[in-house]
Amino acid sequence: MQANIKWLDNPEVFRVNQADAHSDHNYFMNYAELERGKNKLLQSLNGQWDFQFSINTMERPQEFYQVDYDRSSFDKIMVPGHIELAGYDQIRYINTLYPWEGKKYLRGAHSIEGAGDGAGMFSEAEYNPVGSYVKTFDLDSELVDKRISICFEGVEEAMYVWLNGEFIGYAEDSFTPSEFDLTPYIKEKNNVLAVQVHKMSTAAFLEDQDFFRFFGIFRNVTLKAIPDIHVQDMWIQPILNKDNASGKIIVDVKVSSTKDCAKSAKFVLADKAGNKLLCESITLADVSGIVEGTLTVDVETVIPWDNHSPYLYDTYIELYDGKQLVEVVPYKVGFRRLEIIDKVMYLNGKRLVLVGVNRHEWSAKTGRVIGMEEMISDMQCVKRNNINAVRTCHYPDQIPWYYMCDEAGVYLMSETNLESHGSFQKLGAIEPSCNVPGSIPQWREAVIDRARNNFETFKNHTSVLFWSLGNESYAGDDIEAMNKYFKDKNDGRLVHYESSYYNRAYEDTISDLESRMYAKPEDVEEYLRNSAKKPYILCEFMHDMGNSMGGLGSYMKLIDKYDMYQGGFIWDFIDQAIMVKDEVTGKEVLRYGGDFEDRPADYEFSGNGIVFADRREKPAMQEVRYYYGLYI
Amino acid sequence: MDCTSKLLRVVYGDFTLGVHGEGFDYIFSYAQGGLESLVKNGYEWLYRCPKPTFWRALTDNDRGSKFHIKSGSWLAADVFIDCKEVEVITDGESQGKPCAPDNNKYGGDVFAENVVVKYVYETITTPATTVEVVYSVDNKGKITVNVSYKGAQGLPELPVFGLRFIMPTLADKYMYEGLSGETYPDRMAGAVKGVYEINNLSLTPYLVPQECGMRMDTDWLEVSRRTSLNNSRKNNSDQILRIEKDKNTFAFSCLPYTASEIENAMHHEELPPARRTVLCVYGAVRGVGGIDSWGSDVEKAYHINAEEDIHFSFTIC
Repeated sequence: MQANIKWLDNPEVFRVNQADAHSDHNYFMNYAELERGKNKLLQSLNGQWDFQFSINTMERPQEFYQVDYDRSSFDKIMVPGHIELAGYDQIRYINTLYPWEGKKYLRGAHSIEGAGDGAGMFSEAEYNPVGSYVKTFDLDSELVDKRISICFEGVEEAMYVWLNGEFIGYAEDSFTPSEFDLTPYIKEKNNVLAVQVHKMSTAAFLEDQDFFRFFGIFRNVTLKAIPDIHVQDMWIQPILNKDNASGKIIVDVKVSSTKDCAKSAKFVLADKAGNKLLCESITLADVSGIVEGTLTVDVETVIPWDNHSPYLYDTYIELYDGKQLVEVVPYKVGFRRLEIIDKVMYLNGKRLVLVGVNRHEWSAKTGRVIGMEEMISDMQCVKRNNINAVRTCHYPDQIPWYYMCDEAGVYLMSETNLESHGSFQKLGAIEPSCNVPGSIPQWREAVIDRARNNFETFKNHTSVLFWSLGNESYAGDDIEAMNKYFKDKNDGRLVHYESSYYNRAYEDTISDLESRMYAKPEDVEEYLRNSAKKPYILCEFMHDMGNSMGGLGSYMKLIDKYDMYQGGFIWDFIDQAIMVKDEVTGKEVLRYGGDFEDRPADYEFSGNGIVFADRREKPAMQEVRYYYGLYI
Repeated sequence: MDCTSKLLRVVYGDFTLGVHGEGFDYIFSYAQGGLESLVKNGYEWLYRCPKPTFWRALTDNDRGSKFHIKSGSWLAADVFIDCKEVEVITDGESQGKPCAPDNNKYGGDVFAENVVVKYVYETITTPATTVEVVYSVDNKGKITVNVSYKGAQGLPELPVFGLRFIMPTLADKYMYEGLSGETYPDRMAGAVKGVYEINNLSLTPYLVPQECGMRMDTDWLEVSRRTSLNNSRKNNSDQILRIEKDKNTFAFSCLPYTASEIENAMHHEELPPARRTVLCVYGAVRGVGGIDSWGSDVEKAYHINAEEDIHFSFTIC
């Protein structure tokens, strides 16, 4: 198959040759490797890559992926990183505006009469920068002679991949892993990996989040050796019974195998002390080429998981070739039960109160490229300040964050990477005449795919209580189809989406919750007093821009007054601003939208954190800590 | 003349009224329209006369709710203000505005148990209104300051109301007994009462410089400085100015800049080097709000109605 640049224009093309989204589990060859921690089956490709920047696709080095292409004129760039912060394209912050505002008249393909199919919209745009990345590498010894996948954990906003001159695949959805099978073309030495990253594609209509607009390979790139017999996907569902003392666990595994041999699987459940509570065989069966198995088993006594006591059990899935253990997959899970009774949410039989915050991934120095240090600092801050819930606004976060929330008992609203704000809210008014995805069939699969990537990647995380369909994308059949996708999983979680407020026709079919943002306390009361249909939360409230957070108490009182008001998520965790050297004094200073001569801009509107861009707490934090402490 | 040690020595100058005692020297100016010099133990605490203050640098929420469009006239009132009247009262007896030639009658130093100097300021708002600032000095040099704003129909809501002191050099630190952290009327539930020392007068680093550093519900405050603009001063020892509550606790902020200086900066690096101490003692503070930053106002209970009188008092010890 050959790459086709026209895919950038076509909302129906969003993944080509990409592996199916799957659980984010780790895997090891045996228990000794697991104990060792560092997985020899993984090889990081982070670091310095060859790079060339082009202003549009016409200017790009078209044949750069060829093994013998002369790349002597290429620069060097660090992966992961944003191309803009490496100095190539203008840094830009806009809220709801689309990047082409005032520069090019665009309407989403098929969105309105006369919009057409979008041909050439991005592939022939005068301004649509391209990053051409090349990495040459040898395989680490442990990876040689094994099946090899490559995982891009985050690439904005569309990418084509080649290995050794052969086209591998294409991906959009910038914030979930994109995995490709490299096995047919991988060599032991001198592999040439080429990645062509485009700033905009049809995904630009779906990724109109209120943030700095970056592109490039901004999360880890990792080679993964796949054992001959391998847990390709798994879903562990621990369920807390109504007695809050016993449980049930359902385990689904999908095994990929290159070997025709006697395969078997075992599931082990152990408590924190290491006592094995279960060790059960999972019967595997070949279902149209994929080996699958399911196990449902009761657990007599369990300790429930919640914010106050985030008790996690160790589980292991063991794969055997005959009697030989060939792979072990560890995963920590907790038993919990989320339910709505009489329009009120309960967790483990107790009324759930969310004292939450919206969190963007951010570093003043590296943008959305953050590492463990930032995540650990953020988690400490969350715990220190009595915050019990985080909404991953408005895209899935890096994988370690979900594991940390499991451990810390932080309730997650795992949001799908979707926002098309600029397509329906204009100068403050709701104006959905050319909304995407809306009910447009050609955009439906793309958004369902984003929902699937979210679900499949994070389904094993106990901390995820809510799947969020995305942010501010209006409401239509396509969003409704995303809701159906999640509801069909019947996984005991709730589906969240805010925009039914804007289009009540979809009220019953796009969210389990009544969710609003920035409703005044009296507006919240008005809903709750007048035949309220669903549990109520504020997915965004207390806009903490600059010196703010006055009046938090008026919202907190509602938690006592109305059982159906179950809290909310402060907007937001960290100021998004960029640290640069002041051109006059040479000192490090923080800059925001418009400071890079980027226009039109939304200026300081990205500075709404309860911590400053350098992660120091804002003075208002004592107010958050106090009030949240009353309700956590 | 033993008794004179307990009396104030009053100097009826042609431009100013001097009030002196052991360890303090105050100059009240007719020309400058306010307390021009506040010297304690030979150390100057004032750079310019204290004036009523009506403005705080806009918060992002203020901008969003267009508070400045409604109340922006208070910014001009804060920067420009006219002193209309001065009256001196000693031991309960009005001396009027004792300028030449009336002051010839004193024929030398005069001693008094207490001295009151009353300034009346008129705002440049439409309609105009007045603020009375009354300094009452007792024989130990303690100054009780009474500040009274006269409400007037038609004036827009106030961001703050207080008295602003500008000190010649930057303070090293201040201590106070009051609430922890930066507090506002609608954001002080989480604060803890205590004694706090602040060693850094920098503005709170909000992305865009804005109102910050407010401390509500304060019992007392001590500002510490060592530096001086006086070329002849050799003493670099710590000097302390203490402000105490009078009848009620007060709010204050102690920063290197005035509200209008902060208002002018879009980034912190645009602010001039920190070289003064701007101490504002407030009798009324508007809340900061937080519902959103694009239209919702601060909750009604935390507005300041400029159509009503405001009075507050505190002491300078």
